[in-house]
Amino acid sequence: MAFDIIFGNAARAAFGPEAVILALAAVGLNVHFGFTGLLNFGQVGFLLLGAYGTSVSVATFGWSLWVGILVGLVLSVALAVAFGLPTLRLHVVMFAIVTIAAAEIIRILIGSTDAIGLTGGPLSVSFDAEAFYDLNPYPDGPHDRYGVGTFEFTGQQMWVITVGWVLVALVSLVVFLIVRSPWGRVLKSIREDEDATRSLGKNVFSYKMQALIIGGVIGGMGGVVDAIKTSGADPNGFRPQVTFFAYTALLLGGAATYVGPILGAILFWFLREWIESFLRQLSAEAWLPSTVADFLDGAEGVISVAMVGLSLVLLMLFRPQGITGSRTEMQLDAR
Amino acid sequence: MPDELTPKPGEARPGTDSGLAGAEIEPILTVPPVVGAPKPHPILVVDDLTRSFGGLRAVDVDHLEVERGVVTALIGPNGAGKTTLFNQLTGFDRADTGRWSFDGQPVSSPSPDQLARKGMIRTFQLTKSLAKLSVLDNVLLGAPGQVGERLSAAPFRSRWQGQEEANVEQAEELLHRFNLAHMRDELAGTLSGGQRKLLEVARALMADPVMIMLDEPMAGVNPALAQSLMRHITELAFEGLTVVFIEHAMDVVTGISDWVVVLAQGRIIAEGPPWKVIHDDEVIDAYLGRRRAGAGS
Repeated sequence: MAFDIIFGNAARAAFGPEAVILALAAVGLNVHFGFTGLLNFGQVGFLLLGAYGTSVSVATFGWSLWVGILVGLVLSVALAVAFGLPTLRLHVVMFAIVTIAAAEIIRILIGSTDAIGLTGGPLSVSFDAEAFYDLNPYPDGPHDRYGVGTFEFTGQQMWVITVGWVLVALVSLVVFLIVRSPWGRVLKSIREDEDATRSLGKNVFSYKMQALIIGGVIGGMGGVVDAIKTSGADPNGFRPQVTFFAYTALLLGGAATYVGPILGAILFWFLREWIESFLRQLSAEAWLPSTVADFLDGAEGVISVAMVGLSLVLLMLFRPQGITGSRTEMQLDAR
Repeated sequence: MPDELTPKPGEARPGTDSGLAGAEIEPILTVPPVVGAPKPHPILVVDDLTRSFGGLRAVDVDHLEVERGVVTALIGPNGAGKTTLFNQLTGFDRADTGRWSFDGQPVSSPSPDQLARKGMIRTFQLTKSLAKLSVLDNVLLGAPGQVGERLSAAPFRSRWQGQEEANVEQAEELLHRFNLAHMRDELAGTLSGGQRKLLEVARALMADPVMIMLDEPMAGVNPALAQSLMRHITELAFEGLTVVFIEHAMDVVTGISDWVVVLAQGRIIAEGPPWKVIHDDEVIDAYLGRRRAGAGS
C-alpha cells in the first residue's frame, strides 16, 4: 500500500484551506464555549453569513470583493446580536436550542427557490474572486506546484492558505491578548458561575454579548475564506455538522486554550483524510474479499467521519481535556 | 492608601459616616426592640415588601430598617424566608410589591450587578467559588472599576497593568487575612468547603462594599474556622462596614451581632439586641412550636 500517498493527502488536508476554515470556526467557538461557557450550536450560521455576505455582495450586487468581505463580517455581528438579545438571559440549554435552530432556518431560507434571485437559492452562488488572486505573489502557471508528492498545492491554493493561516495566527493573538486581561477574567467567571459574577457588579449580559459577537465574527471570517476558496457559496456546505466538526476540533485540541482549536482543526482534517485515503487504497487491494471491497467503495468519506467520531469518544474517555488542555481543571468538573 | 495595614472596608467613603465605626455603636442601643423600629442611621429601609410562590407568602415585611456600621443578624427557623428576603434585597429575585432604599437612594427594579456597584455585596449559602480560576483571580474579580474589564482597553496591557498590580497587592492582603495566602495560585475548585466560604468573603470585601450580606456564612464550616470567621465579621463592623448575615442557629448570633431581626413564615416577628430577642416569647415559640399555649399561660 502506498503510505506516502496517504500521508501526503492527509498533510494536504491538514494544512489546506478546509483546515483554515475549521480553525477559524473553532477559534470563534472557543471564545463562546471555551472561555465564556456559551453553548453555541449555531456556529455554522456565522460561517454561512460570512460566505454568503461576501458572495452575494459581489455576484448579485456587483460590489467589490473587499466591500463584500465587510458585508459578510457585519452580517456576522448582526447574527450575534440577533442570537443574543432574546436568548442570552435564558438558560444555557435554551441558548443551545435557539442557536442550532436559527442557523438551520437561515440556511433553509437562503437555499430556498424563492431566494434564487438574491442568493442563488439551491443553485448556489458563484463570483469571481480575482481581486484577491490579483495579489497572489506565488507564480501560478499550469505547471507550478508547491510541496512534495501528494502534499502539494497550486499557486492559488498557496495564496489562500498563506493568507488563511496568517489570519488564524492574528485572530488567535487578539484572542490571547483580550482573554488574558481582566476582561477575560470576567468571561471565565461567567463560565464558572453567572450569579457569582453578577453579585460582584459585573454586567453579565453585556459580557456574554461581547463574547458572542467576537466569536461570531471570527466564525464569519471562516465563511469569508470559504467563499474566496470556492469562489462562491452553496447552502449544502453549511449544514449543522459544520458546527459539530468545529466542536470536535475544539475538544480535540483542548477548549479554553489558545492553540488548542488550531491544533484540533489540523488534526481533525489530518485524521479524516488519512482514514479516507487509507480506505480508498485498501479497497483497491487485490487480496481484499470482494464483499468488503464493495462495501468500502464509495463509503470511504462516511466511514472516515465515523472514525473521527470514534476517536472523539476515545479522547473523551482517555484524555478529556484534549491535547493541550489541563488535566487538573478537567478533574474539577468531576467533583 | 492601599499600602496601609487597614484594608479598604475601613476607609471613609461617600455616604458613610466614618465616625460611626467601632466604639460608637451606642446609638443602636437606644433603639427600642420593636418590630419596624426606626434606626438612627439606617443604610437600608424596606417598606411593604412581599413575595409569594403560588399560595405561599414567602416574604411579607411591612417595615424594616438596617442600621449602618453594625452587625445585623437575620435569623429564623428553616423556611422562614430569610434567603428569599436576601434575594429580593440584592436583586436576584423580583419582589411582588415593595419599596426600599439603599444608602439614601431609592431602589426601583434593581438588578444584582447595579446594586453591587452601589456597594451592596452578597455571598451565597452554597458557595459560588469560580472553580477553574485561581484563588487570586477569584479575589481579583471582585475589584470594582477595573479599566481592563472594558474590551476597548483589554488588549493593551499597559493601560490596566498598574491598576492590576495595586489590586493584586490588596487581594494578597485579603488572602493573608483569611489564611488563604498559601493557596494563592491553586485553582479555587481544589479548596475545602470552609476555605471556599472564606474565599467568598474575601472576594466580597475586594469589591469595596458599603454593606455586605452574608448568607449563612457559618453553615458547613468546622467550629474552629467558624470562630475565626465570626471574628472577621466583628472586625469588619468595627472598621465601619455594615454587615447583615443570615443564620438559623440562634446561639451563633448572640456573640457577634449588635442587632437581631427574627423572621418566621415570611414575617418579622421580633427585632432587638440579641440578649433581648432570645428571651422573646414569640421567638421561642417560632423555634420550638407553641408549647406555651397548651400550658395556659
